[in-house]
Amino acid sequence: MSQAAIDVPKGGFSFDLCRRNDMLAKKGVQQPSYRKTGTTIVGLIFQDGVILGADTRATEGPIVCDKNCEKIHYMAPNIYCCGAGTAADTEAVTDMVSSQLQLHRYHTGRESRVVTALTLLKKHLFSYQGHVSAALVLGGVDVTGPHLHTIYPHGSTDTLPFATMGSGSLAAMSIFESKYKEGLTRDEGIKLVTEAICSGIFNDLGSGSNVDVCVITKGHKEYLRNHLSPTPRTYVSAKDYTFSKKTEVLLTKIIPLTEKVEVIEAGDAMEE
Amino acid sequence: MTKQHANWSPYDNNGGSCVAIAGANYCVIAADTRMSTGYSILTRDYSKICKLADKAVLASSGFQADVKALQKHLAAKHLIYQHQHNKQMSCPAMAQLLSNTLYYKRFFPYYAFNVLGGLDSEGKGCVFTYDAVGSYERVGYSSQGSGSTLIIPFLDNQLKSPSPLLLPAVDAVTPLSEAEAIDLVKTVFASATERDIYTGDRLEIVVLNADGTRYEYMELRKD
Amino acid sequence: MSIFEYNGSALIAMVGKNCFAIASDRRLGVQLQTVATDFKRINQVHDRLFIGLSGLATDAQTLYQRLMFRHKLYQLREERDMKPETFASLVSAILYEKRFGPYFCQPVIAGLSDEDRPFICTMDSIGAKELAKDFVVAGTASESLYGACEAMFKPDMEAEELFEIVSQALLSSVDRDCLSGWGGHVFVVTPTEVKERILKGRMD
Repeated sequence: MSQAAIDVPKGGFSFDLCRRNDMLAKKGVQQPSYRKTGTTIVGLIFQDGVILGADTRATEGPIVCDKNCEKIHYMAPNIYCCGAGTAADTEAVTDMVSSQLQLHRYHTGRESRVVTALTLLKKHLFSYQGHVSAALVLGGVDVTGPHLHTIYPHGSTDTLPFATMGSGSLAAMSIFESKYKEGLTRDEGIKLVTEAICSGIFNDLGSGSNVDVCVITKGHKEYLRNHLSPTPRTYVSAKDYTFSKKTEVLLTKIIPLTEKVEVIEAGDAMEE
Repeated sequence: MTKQHANWSPYDNNGGSCVAIAGANYCVIAADTRMSTGYSILTRDYSKICKLADKAVLASSGFQADVKALQKHLAAKHLIYQHQHNKQMSCPAMAQLLSNTLYYKRFFPYYAFNVLGGLDSEGKGCVFTYDAVGSYERVGYSSQGSGSTLIIPFLDNQLKSPSPLLLPAVDAVTPLSEAEAIDLVKTVFASATERDIYTGDRLEIVVLNADGTRYEYMELRKD
Repeated sequence: MSIFEYNGSALIAMVGKNCFAIASDRRLGVQLQTVATDFKRINQVHDRLFIGLSGLATDAQTLYQRLMFRHKLYQLREERDMKPETFASLVSAILYEKRFGPYFCQPVIAGLSDEDRPFICTMDSIGAKELAKDFVVAGTASESLYGACEAMFKPDMEAEELFEIVSQALLSSVDRDCLSGWGGHVFVVTPTEVKERILKGRMD
């Protein structure tokens, strides 16, 4: 095998820094914290399909690192998935499964089923024994009707008419438990999901900013990005502030960029 | 067998940020009113600011149970002071008292991060900033609490204090007018609330000047 | 101690009107001891694409070499430069590959697309992408930088104003961080030119 083939891996995790990092950890170096989506994510089944909802805050410890991130991930045209937990894991695991589903659709020529996505996700998460920390709410509509599932980081799953996940799950569930009923209309469903997410946004410090909603019905979906922004910035100074001292520049180097040259193919191709 | 220690801690952190700015004839002290623990909000309307004397106002974040105990202790001391001297304590005197009180508990500290603002004997604004065990310094402006790392750089940028090594000594008070200082405080809190999850809900501003004390409030993000 | 604090760093990227700025400090330290005062954390990938790598310097350099290798392979295969979005996905994939033994590195990526649209992005050490519209920060001074940028940022700045804001935010933030500082290194990229400037800062 050539060197290049080693450096450009096909896939899967690489563990070659683990020993060094363990050595550092044994020397008393703190392990790094990863970006988490503190998160309130919810989903419910209404009369013609599934509605998913999420807040848009990503945190690293007590600091908000993204005020408007997307937590409702695309899985298939008829399936979406909300992710909570370590941001990289939720992103990677949903991307990976969505590409497996796409390949499966190419292979079979049929619409993906929610249970297929569910099985692929739980198989992956179970095999990593909870180290891939993704907590998911999976929803979609397929030939067998609307489905809503929750998936825990260790790979266990639930099938429910309404579900919540993440640090704001209790706040959101309190809304669902008091107001959910079977056979909600579309508007009632969106309103209830929005209310549940808002409950997470306001009462859980790990959740915040805006409400994203995704409505999936038979043969149709609607992604309502930033459906509601309940907490705008409260103060912007009317006057423009000034700097008392301009920055002192020691050295300036200007590199002009060349115009991109369009190569226009000549009429005849060169003959060998 | 090794001895098992209970995993219990006498301290909690209730978050929140405090700012104080001293001017030529005023002092602005501000803090948000959110009290939280972990990922939950305990209350959205808890004042971190305590008026200790006519010309000394204390804003403290950290563990609010300790803060309350500290405030009560200082109030009691101040009452005794009034009986003995028949006058209100000055802000620099209160600053020294606070330092002593904190250091007295050097090995079981009050988990409180304080900023003391007020007016000195000449009516000039003064700000004292502390660590948890009583080390303190008179400065032109200061910030303490969970959002302080976000707030301080912008205050530095706008109010750049003169070096304490300069001879002759330069006054640390800021050149801003009272209205400008209040505007700056509102800006830094709105900014800190965007990024610090423990700062938010409402901003309480206390303005001390020759006319007395004035309270102002501004809403902050509630998420 | 966290391993991210071993060398110390401060990185920032900000978007203006059809332009962007990316800036870093110049200190390389070993914990509290300063080793170099002209360290480069920002690297140019191609004409209009930059990557800054905060965190452990040894990992930053290794990662940079791997990224350049992959970018050159791409150039050879495709006969064009990578789009900023594509490059960000590449960095993310390389970082996530080492999910259980990560590079101690937090990248900041900034580039101009072919349509002169600025793109900025940061990630954590395992490749969780954060695409922001205004500014991104990383390094030991990140909290200070968040505060400074949040107060100073204005939308649609021209190149010179953008430079001033980024420089002021960077310098006032690193002055409150023991592990970064010693001036700054700022790149301002417009559709026509790259302006590289070295800033004077406190030397302590």
